[in-house]
Amino acid sequence: MATVIGEGLSIEGDLTSNEDVAVHGTFRGKLTTDDTVVVGATGAVQADISGSSVSIAGQVTGDVTASERVDLQAGGRLVGDVRAGRFTIADGASFKGNVDMEM
Amino acid sequence: MRGNVRGQGDLEIQGRVEGDVNVDGDVTVGEEAAVRGNVTGAEISVAGTVQGDLRGSEGVLLERGARVVGDLSAPRIGIAPGALVRGLVRTDGEPALGSPQAQRRASAVPSLRAVPTSAQRPFVAKEAPRATVSERPLPLERPAPPERAAAPAQPERPTVVERSDQPAARREKEAPPPPVVPVLAKGAKAKKKRRED
Repeated sequence: MATVIGEGLSIEGDLTSNEDVAVHGTFRGKLTTDDTVVVGATGAVQADISGSSVSIAGQVTGDVTASERVDLQAGGRLVGDVRAGRFTIADGASFKGNVDMEM
Repeated sequence: MRGNVRGQGDLEIQGRVEGDVNVDGDVTVGEEAAVRGNVTGAEISVAGTVQGDLRGSEGVLLERGARVVGDLSAPRIGIAPGALVRGLVRTDGEPALGSPQAQRRASAVPSLRAVPTSAQRPFVAKEAPRATVSERPLPLERPAPPERAAAPAQPERPTVVERSDQPAARREKEAPPPPVVPVLAKGAKAKKKRRED
């Protein structure tokens, strides 16, 4: 993971990257990357996320756009719309929003 | 990253941040990193570019490739050779000139420049530093011992006018080593002329 937002860290703003981003802390704003986004179990994101592949195990409030796939893990909570070619929701996850698989 | 970063723990910045950084742990700004905003932390170590103030509660260290435009404020500040800084550097709580010794030393320096007159300069150069009667053995005042021995009790430095009052008498009393350049005493010009005749 190139960029790691640790558990005790709180970031407010626009984050732009061309590498992997892992969020284990609090992030509010906008997250855009060309690569993978991982929201850890302790992560709390209040932002629109855009990446190639997004994996959510924590809390995300915002729209998620992925060029490849979005995976919502068990224990994850997602409130927002999803736009991706592939989308999986694990058993035990919470989700509220619209899904558009770009058909 | 455009926005503010706040948190607990250490932070390492290798990219670009536009906004303030405020953590309670250590902050490392990498070589390729560019931060535009103030950085507050415990130990701040900078090897990249920062445009903003650095406030370290424990220390601030600028490494070789650091380029900082902004104020540095920390109890311990280190600037490695090669680092570029432009700003106010402040180490809070530094007792640099607190003691009376240090204060006297500081006030003695400018008066030293007035001490050696043209007549006495070769004298001063030849003479080895003597143990003087002065109450404060300040190293800066050794080059002018004859003056010091004559006026030990004076707290402030005697002026040039005072010293040149009786230079000949003083010299005879202390029998100094012969100087390279003959010092012209009173009437020396007349004596020399007589010799040549």
